[in-house]
Amino acid sequence: MSNYIKSFLFAAVLSLVCGSLLTLASTGLKEYQLENIELDKHKNILKSVGLLNGEDAVSQETVEQLYSENIGQIWINVDGKIVPEQRKGKNDLQVYLFSQQGKIQAYIIPIHSRGLWGKISGYMAIKNDGATISGFTVYSHQETPGLGGEIEKKWFQKNFQGKKILDDQGNFVAIAIAKGSVKERIPESRQKNFVDGISGASMTGKFLSAGLKQTLTEYEPFSERFRKNEIK
Amino acid sequence: MKITKTKAFNVFFKPIWESNPISGQILGICSALAVTVQLKTAVVMGLALTLVLAFSNLSISLMRKFIPRNIRIIIELTVIATLVILTDQVLKAFLYDISKQLSIFVGLIITNCIILGRAETYALGNPPFLSLLDGIGNGLGYSQILITVAVIREFFGAGKFFGFQVIPDTFYAAGYENMGLMVLAPGAFIAIGLIVWLQKTVSKEKT
Repeated sequence: MSNYIKSFLFAAVLSLVCGSLLTLASTGLKEYQLENIELDKHKNILKSVGLLNGEDAVSQETVEQLYSENIGQIWINVDGKIVPEQRKGKNDLQVYLFSQQGKIQAYIIPIHSRGLWGKISGYMAIKNDGATISGFTVYSHQETPGLGGEIEKKWFQKNFQGKKILDDQGNFVAIAIAKGSVKERIPESRQKNFVDGISGASMTGKFLSAGLKQTLTEYEPFSERFRKNEIK
Repeated sequence: MKITKTKAFNVFFKPIWESNPISGQILGICSALAVTVQLKTAVVMGLALTLVLAFSNLSISLMRKFIPRNIRIIIELTVIATLVILTDQVLKAFLYDISKQLSIFVGLIITNCIILGRAETYALGNPPFLSLLDGIGNGLGYSQILITVAVIREFFGAGKFFGFQVIPDTFYAAGYENMGLMVLAPGAFIAIGLIVWLQKTVSKEKT
């Protein structure tokens, strides 16, 4: 009997020690971690509008300075109208604005898409014509490294630059990831609405295409206002 | 007595080559496949595992006289899991970019057979100092193989070394192509297989 008690006691004491160690680490390091996550998001937003190239090492100060000088954050409702942050409802959407010399250059949409293994999160920047993509970045995903994981790589993200979310007639079609190379697989008139796929990662491409379409559709009223020149 | 004959020396150096956890004991293959596409992640993974292994061996060895036999595996896993989560938290706080690349694999150190294997077969029956050495030795042995495999895979799979392009563009222009197989899991199997072969041949000649 005393053996059982000993086992229980030992387990209880060990759990207590390990538990408090973990709590200590988690609360003690939380501030640094949140700071890193925030910094990473800012980096990605800057990357999506081309203010950072994502390769050179940049200091935290540079990132924060660039961010505060160029990027603003607003909320819009489902009709694409801007709502003040204090009055935002739970259906309202978040948009970042990239402005220079008092003029909006591009707007940045947070992307949350399903992936093959988990959520894909990133940003898509669209120029102030409401149609041309200026950049796309991914800051968190669970895809297979080397396959679907390539979505975080520059070669993949670079393909988005200059692509359109409208077809030749000016209708909204969003942007999709082709199965293979765009040049070989997609008819010429639609090539501007597709980016090259990743070999060995068709599923990731499929999910991300669907996610992008859904998100861009939600933001379509806002994009339309840009196309009609209602927002400057 | 020569230093190479001392017990501590053997405990430390044997697992680096002769009884290497991967190529000798064939333990910890799973993560060796996963994180060896690039050298950078392999190095950090090796360091993280060495750290966890050293401390888990040390703490289990310190407690070895008090651990009740019937719940020893649970105790070992609790200690290991705690250390791994601590490592993960520290990486997230101070090496965020690398922790992003290692993503799930740091968490998977918990399931790495090497750690539980060393705790069970070595730390439970040996004094703390030797256990610590055994942990570091096995960790370095693991890292060593990981790094070798990563060098091979990164070179043939991407033409790079530590992220720098080493195969010049003129090669690609002349029709050279990266070996896609090396980026995928079979590439790691082949590389590890070759290392095991080499290791077995070399140690046979010695004896």
